[in-house]
Amino acid sequence: MDEEYLQMFFDEAEEYIRDLNDDILILEENPENTEVINAIFRAAHSLKGMAATMGFDELTDLTHKLENVLDLIREEKIYLDAEMIDALFEGIDLINELVEDIKRTGRETTEVEGFLVSLDEKIAAHNKGDTDDVFLGGNASLEGKEEWDLQLTEKNLKEIKSHGGEEDSVLEIRVMLKKETVLKSVRAYMILKKAEELGYLIKSLPDREGIENDEVEVRQEILLVLITGLNHEEIKEELGSIIDVNSVEINPLNIDYSRLETSITGEEQDSSDKNSSIDVSPTVRVDIEKLDNLMNMVGELLINKTQLEDLDIDNSSFQNTIQQLDRVTTELHYTVMQIRMVPISGIFSRFPRLVRDLCRDLDKEIDLNIEGEDTELDRSIIDELADPLVHLIRNAVDHGIEKPDKREEKGKSRTGIVEIRAYQKGSEIMIEIEDDGRGLDGEKIARKAVEKGLAAQEEIENMESEEKLQYIFEPGFSTSENTSQVSGRGVGMDVVKKVVESLDGQVNIESRIDEGTLISISLPLTLAITQALLVKIARETFAIPLDDISETLTVSPEEIKTIRGQEVIVPRDETIPITSAAHQLNIDVDNDRYMERGEIPVVTVSSGSSEIGLIIDEFLTQQEIVVKSMGEYLGSVENISGATIIGDGDVALILDVRKIA
Amino acid sequence: MSVNILVVDDAKFMRVSIKNMLEKADYKVIAEAENGREALKKYKSEEPDLVTMDITMPEKDGLEATRDILNYDSEASIIMVSAMGQQKIVIEAIEAGAQDFVVKPFDEKRVLEAAKNVLS
Repeated sequence: MDEEYLQMFFDEAEEYIRDLNDDILILEENPENTEVINAIFRAAHSLKGMAATMGFDELTDLTHKLENVLDLIREEKIYLDAEMIDALFEGIDLINELVEDIKRTGRETTEVEGFLVSLDEKIAAHNKGDTDDVFLGGNASLEGKEEWDLQLTEKNLKEIKSHGGEEDSVLEIRVMLKKETVLKSVRAYMILKKAEELGYLIKSLPDREGIENDEVEVRQEILLVLITGLNHEEIKEELGSIIDVNSVEINPLNIDYSRLETSITGEEQDSSDKNSSIDVSPTVRVDIEKLDNLMNMVGELLINKTQLEDLDIDNSSFQNTIQQLDRVTTELHYTVMQIRMVPISGIFSRFPRLVRDLCRDLDKEIDLNIEGEDTELDRSIIDELADPLVHLIRNAVDHGIEKPDKREEKGKSRTGIVEIRAYQKGSEIMIEIEDDGRGLDGEKIARKAVEKGLAAQEEIENMESEEKLQYIFEPGFSTSENTSQVSGRGVGMDVVKKVVESLDGQVNIESRIDEGTLISISLPLTLAITQALLVKIARETFAIPLDDISETLTVSPEEIKTIRGQEVIVPRDETIPITSAAHQLNIDVDNDRYMERGEIPVVTVSSGSSEIGLIIDEFLTQQEIVVKSMGEYLGSVENISGATIIGDGDVALILDVRKIA
Repeated sequence: MSVNILVVDDAKFMRVSIKNMLEKADYKVIAEAENGREALKKYKSEEPDLVTMDITMPEKDGLEATRDILNYDSEASIIMVSAMGQQKIVIEAIEAGAQDFVVKPFDEKRVLEAAKNVLS
């Protein structure tokens, strides 16, 4: 099968699944909301169409059944209660599983038959009772026999009159398409076109405009009101010759011209129909790889620009051009960055459903507050972040929030609160997950760390409680005494930390017993290009990302003091440990030579709450650098996060301050 | 007399499969084209009885090529070869004068049905 279509299928299917989840949550809150029922119906329907074309039978059957259920809900033929909502969610989960199956193996491996049978039972149990037509074997009557309202407006009646519509020449034609028809709207269009050749088409359902603009849901049935001199057999033959037409039913239309004088409602209805069209802002889908390429090229351009700037040419028009180039490249960089940004709502939107399900499973009551879902992040970061965030939410719900009775005992409200926030802070994006649950016990964590051999007893003795909490990020650490099913899904806090750090971000934890836990993740806005300070260390040029630098200063040897064997400086009453950068990088130079110099340049860098001063040889300049990874062969080099090409074409290594500080 | 067909599709895989389907039913595929530009050229030189026209192609897409061909020969018989989600384009093509369409991935029966329908 065509890869391109398969990819398109996956992209769209995932979008629909997300929409379905969101919409059913809304439906759960407002069971009367017909708009949202329609939206759900449409999504299920579109999924069905896609699945059928791709030949995914299980998915087709499943979405078809869901579509039927939604139709019944829409028609108010069955009750919509919590059980039904659960069934809908279950169906969507199955859709998701099937899509994942296909992605992984190219085949549908999940079984849906059991679900379909149980859904049938539920439908029967929820029947409102006036009819037995809720039973929908296969493709059933709903799509078929349902009466569409093809009310003629005053305008239509006038039209009929002016076209000399005699009673027997005005026909109502009902064209049924085959069940398996694909691109129904095109077929409908062909039927309309043919009808126009056969006579004067007064009205149709769906109408031509709606089909052309792709605004209507074309069903199996198409209704036409046609004035024609042809006899019924001729019409049947003509319309029946169109592929996918199953049957054509023709009836003379009884026209009550008396309405012409009295009725105005038709016109009103007409205009309100028009208003229902939806404005969609024009967008294009772009392969993320293309954006990566674009970003790379912008990076190359920046390097070239820097090289030009370094050509010490004293010519005013050259300088002007360079300045202009600088402006354009900056703007270009910014624009490409913007294009790559997507709102974090893509991930956040999963959480209401997740929390709802967890609450059910765990018998907890939780209010979930989400803030800042419009906050935008680089697409590649968003993709990576989904799993860690899901894990953190699971933790908050499972381990954080207590059961309602327990909370009451503690004097808390029965309903726990989980808050997820995203916001921009300087050049970083902050994501915070906070719960008002039982909190983490630093002592317990520290003890466990010692037990597991992650820390030595002496190490933890003088530790702040906050520092002890950090052990939960260590590989091989799990705080929960008995890992419940919910949280025990492979991702641990160590993985969360690893992922966040691989994205150049940081994760931090604060917690108070019985008050709650706050996990904050900070991430760079974008990975590829950043401002850096270039410095000389052991005669080599290194880059230090500006975001990591808290201060640059020059100290004299007398200002360096030694406290407990550690060299420190004390600018403004604050003690900052210092170390030789060359030493940190394992560069073997005559180490302590800096003490012989009169002035010692120091860059203080910080990561989280720790700060350290790095002794370097010389400050060079500040410039934009394009971060390149070290490549597969070198892999990870200690204390180096990547490399960049600087103005003169040389390669400079980028210090990984996080590791050093 | 046999029916001569021009198959237009940028994917060789699709051209081959359509050709196989048609030739099994005794149609004759006399020419193939990889894009819309080539399609018009081949249409002029080969004068086929029927064209199967892919929509998404480089250089010139199927919709434009359909318009070009119908401009040159308003009697041309063209079947659009569409993917899911291209209904708007297919409608435009039919508006322009294409007679029918098939949707990828299609089976032999539907392709032949469409061919038969258009030629009748």
